[in-house]
Amino acid sequence: MVTHEDILKIARLAKISVKPGELDGLTKDMNEIIGFADTVNSAPVDSTDFDNINGLTNVFREDEAVPSYSREDILSNAPCAEDGYFLVKRHS
Amino acid sequence: MDYGKIKKINRLLESKEISCAELTQKYLGAIDKENPSLNAYIKTTPETAMETARRVDKKIASGEKLMPLEGVPMTLKDNISTTGIETTCCSKILSGYRPIYDATVWDILKKRNAVLLGKCNMDEFAMGSTCRTSCYGGARNPHDTSRVPGGSSGGAAAAVSGNIAAYALGSDTGGSIRQPASFCGIVGFKPTYGAVSRYGLIAFASSLDQIGPLTTSVEDAAIIYDAIAQYDKMDSTSSGMAKPAYASLNNDIKGKKIGVAKEYLDGVREDIKAEFEKSLKVFESMGAEIVHLSMPSIKYSLPVYYILACAEASSNLGRYDGIRYGYKTLTYADRNDMICKTRSEGFGTEVKRRVLLGTYVLSAGYYDAFYKKAQNLRGTIVRAFESSFAQCDFMAAPTVPMTAFPMDYTPDNPVETYLTDLCTVPVNIAGLPAVSVPCGLGSDNMPVGVQVIGRKFSEPLILNAAYKFEQAACAFKPVETGVKL
Repeated sequence: MVTHEDILKIARLAKISVKPGELDGLTKDMNEIIGFADTVNSAPVDSTDFDNINGLTNVFREDEAVPSYSREDILSNAPCAEDGYFLVKRHS
Repeated sequence: MDYGKIKKINRLLESKEISCAELTQKYLGAIDKENPSLNAYIKTTPETAMETARRVDKKIASGEKLMPLEGVPMTLKDNISTTGIETTCCSKILSGYRPIYDATVWDILKKRNAVLLGKCNMDEFAMGSTCRTSCYGGARNPHDTSRVPGGSSGGAAAAVSGNIAAYALGSDTGGSIRQPASFCGIVGFKPTYGAVSRYGLIAFASSLDQIGPLTTSVEDAAIIYDAIAQYDKMDSTSSGMAKPAYASLNNDIKGKKIGVAKEYLDGVREDIKAEFEKSLKVFESMGAEIVHLSMPSIKYSLPVYYILACAEASSNLGRYDGIRYGYKTLTYADRNDMICKTRSEGFGTEVKRRVLLGTYVLSAGYYDAFYKKAQNLRGTIVRAFESSFAQCDFMAAPTVPMTAFPMDYTPDNPVETYLTDLCTVPVNIAGLPAVSVPCGLGSDNMPVGVQVIGRKFSEPLILNAAYKFEQAACAFKPVETGVKL
């Protein structure tokens, strides 16, 4: 059973603010979804481990310099930019 | 039967029956007329389209032969990055975002002078089965505009089915190509995980996402697949193992063994089951043999899918912070408040629910019970498919347990909508290829699809089987609106 406090804790971790008016509905929905997800715990545990879907292993490449994007291009979508940097409020 | 567009357009252009500019105008005109009722496109790109069309016309005038996809008017789901053209995933949080690079699939098609008509509506961040979670409002089904087109590639399916695009590229994480294709009566093809590059596809769940085509024929799907299934060094999961499918489309399927797992039929509506049984008869009439299988672990596919997909989404969507791109909240106290408010105002309800579920299953105390258990079961499902394929050449299953539901359908809880993904998610969990082909109509006269599922990288075989089925079943029901070729 997920409580209001649980939802507020997860929301804090996910950096999503929950308004007081949303809390009841969200808690109800999350209980339905988590109850549904919990059916995995009625399945027998398989002793074989699962790694990744295509059985791929890491491939390393040479560390070569290649052309990249310009600073202007990278900043072109920023809501706030100044002097070639992303602008963020000073951490107090 | 008016299905299949690519070869027809190629012939029309090369024989100079119509110029590419005229054809493109025809499509743009049809979009103006039909889109207000379909809401399939959230943006049109007439300048880009006409510029390409004129380039193609010059080529034709100089007597050069066209490549198969050249000059064909098409569309992309709005989660596929297009340089300079707003790409939003139909989320407020990406409003105004103009990518500075092309997705590899679009880069390939652009080089082949594909005529991009616009970007298509979708469920926000591909999270949904109805297209109704889009911040632009839902798209509608061309077969009955009071119904949903399905999702998440709902706009793409509506555009292709409504003849306002010759084909579309969508993405399939848990059925997002095949389910709307089934609802809209067209072909939807999800290739093997790793067959098509996902570079530039805005991520939802990276171990499941795959790009593929939505078309009016299996032949079109094969032509597009052969073009886009290329190794890409920009995608670390790109395999380079894809084999071309077009050449073997017409192979005989006599003697092929088709596996049917009974668990796929649990929870499927009776009229859909009847259409599926009829489809099996069509396969049998071509000399294929049905092999009955049992895969008990399939019943865990849905919860496994929702746990893994949401866990990956909670991590992938962590990047939306209002700093580097997209929406940013207007008033805030400090940096943390800015990020929290930006995300709360920018994400829709379903996205927030899934990010919260993903955060929950990954958090301390719940990781073992949910995420780890789901990963373990994923392995069980992968192995269940491996043993099934030891007994058959490919498998068949219904694509969706129902037909398209009404636009105003209100589920009692979010889980009820998740059940539409019942028959599509197992394939994503195991990374397999699957294609949905129209197979008939439900009791409500709405389209029904059948899925052909194959081993990894067996695209030539499943498209071959789907093509033969399509030719024998003649179940394609065209919509009368839009462009007539």
